[in-house]
Amino acid sequence: MAGQEDPVQREIRQDWANREYIEIITSSIKKISDFLNSFDMSCRSRLATLNEKLTALERRIEYIEARVTKGETLT
Amino acid sequence: MPLVKRNIDPRHLCHTALPRGIKNELECVTNISLANIIRQLSSLSKYAEDIFGELFNEAHSFSFRVNSLQERVDRLSVSVTQLDPKEEELSLQDITMRKAFRSSTIQDQQLFDRRTLPIPLQETYDVCEQPPPLNILTPYRDDGKEGLKFYTNPSYFFDLWKEKMLQDTEDKRKEKRKQKKNLDRPHEPEKVPRAPHDRRREWQKLAQGPELAEDDANLLHKHIEVANGPASHFETRPQTYVDHMDGSYSLSALPFSQMSELLTRAEERVLVRPHEPPPPPPMHGAGEAKPIPTCISSATGLIENRPQSPAAGRTPVFVSPTPPPPPPPLPSALSTSSLRASMTSTPPPPVPPPPPPPATALQAPAVPPPPAPLQIAPGVLHPAPPPIAPPLVQPSPPVARAAPVCETVPVHPLPQGEVQGLPPPPPPPPLPPPGIRPSSPVTVAALAHPPSGLHPTPSTAPGPHAPLMPPSPPSQVLPASEPKRHPSTLPVISDARSVLLEAIRKGIQLRKVEEQREQEAKHERIENDVATILSRRIAVEYSDSEDDSEFDEVDWLE
Repeated sequence: MAGQEDPVQREIRQDWANREYIEIITSSIKKISDFLNSFDMSCRSRLATLNEKLTALERRIEYIEARVTKGETLT
Repeated sequence: MPLVKRNIDPRHLCHTALPRGIKNELECVTNISLANIIRQLSSLSKYAEDIFGELFNEAHSFSFRVNSLQERVDRLSVSVTQLDPKEEELSLQDITMRKAFRSSTIQDQQLFDRRTLPIPLQETYDVCEQPPPLNILTPYRDDGKEGLKFYTNPSYFFDLWKEKMLQDTEDKRKEKRKQKKNLDRPHEPEKVPRAPHDRRREWQKLAQGPELAEDDANLLHKHIEVANGPASHFETRPQTYVDHMDGSYSLSALPFSQMSELLTRAEERVLVRPHEPPPPPPMHGAGEAKPIPTCISSATGLIENRPQSPAAGRTPVFVSPTPPPPPPPLPSALSTSSLRASMTSTPPPPVPPPPPPPATALQAPAVPPPPAPLQIAPGVLHPAPPPIAPPLVQPSPPVARAAPVCETVPVHPLPQGEVQGLPPPPPPPPLPPPGIRPSSPVTVAALAHPPSGLHPTPSTAPGPHAPLMPPSPPSQVLPASEPKRHPSTLPVISDARSVLLEAIRKGIQLRKVEEQREQEAKHERIENDVATILSRRIAVEYSDSEDDSEFDEVDWLE
């Protein structure tokens, strides 16, 4: 009896170990993908803020340029 | 349901069938799972690269903007230090003459277009099943549209919206023009509110001939004078003609002064008629049925009244108001027969004035069939047949010219005194040689053919304007029961007039074609710029008329 159990048990134990190993790997993959998504989102939000600031700056500069330079006449 | 943007490819690690004949199944499963993990890692790395690529592109564009901003700030700082408060501007001139400051507002547009689809979603989309390859049928289509557009058209709604916006801008612009005109000419006598039977009256007038028509004109003037004080006859007429036209088509092709000039000339002609032989009394009753050149204005009016027109029988052919219903022959044939049947003074047959054969290819409908149903329909009393086709922008001058010409025609009504329900001889298109003197059926046939022949030749001028030509040909024709032809007494005058009319027609036609080309060019230029479309529309709607014209000019010139 013990002899029969051993190979099976050995295999089962080995299988459990393999599965745990695979589980660790897949959870790491999930963490990587989570990280990538959150990184993407945060980057986009920061870039959007940057975009807004740039637009505001551009408008202000446009106004200042108009004030400073001698304007074109209509005709 | 939200779409997953990036899907890692082997979703399940071990949901595969095991190969047969393996002893150690657990090990097999483990190995399969590990292999799938490797595949998952590869797709993950691909998506990661895509994510960072998108972020990098955005940041890169920002870097350009920041650099340009930096340069501008540097330049500004330099110029500010150079500013001298002692330099004062010439106050008044500069304030008024300077171009007003307008900040450049950039609007986001076309956000959800096919071209802006992210790459991973595009790949997901490509995996899907394609629509049926209907585009292979495109070469066999007549109208030149793509076959697939009838199955699925991604730009359908945008095109719809664009068309609607452009149409609205055009409408608003016309309204403004109308208002401008009304404002510009406050002293012009106000129009007598148009009665629905104006057309018939005009046709009656024409049928009765110039002498009687003058009386009616005097009556009309009296009405007008009653409405508004003393008004010059010449001015009112052009006004009414012009306003008839304005509703449906834009007369912008011709400057108004030129038009009014032509109209006044036409008016003079009308009044000079008296020496012509008086029309036979029986013509009186038949007057209704004569569409005549005024049908042009009437046609335009009718066009306005029945934009949708054409009931099956209605002839869509009645396109452009300009040419006095040329194909008189077509309807005349039928009308003559019907008239013969009922040779009474009451010309019931509406005699839909054979709509001038569509000058342009736009008005495709076949000419011959329409006139027939028109005449047969007894209930249709309205002279101008439902001119469906978008009326050509025929300036009223040709109409006015036609009017006097046509009026002369009725002067010499059919000698037989038959009911001339037929439309005034708007003479068959210039095709029939002047020497034509066919019997009525023959003429009818001949006339029928020319109109249909005109269709293939979309040239604007010749066909519909032919009616103006009539003077010479009609004069020589003595139809037994035809639409009246000019008696031979008028050949000389009519020839000269016809030459002039031809010239005018050509000029106007040329301008019309140019205007059409301009419009097409504009449409092409517009493309898909939502911002400009919207801005034009808003400008037309909310700005004052003065600003509107300026803005539009500026816009169109961009």
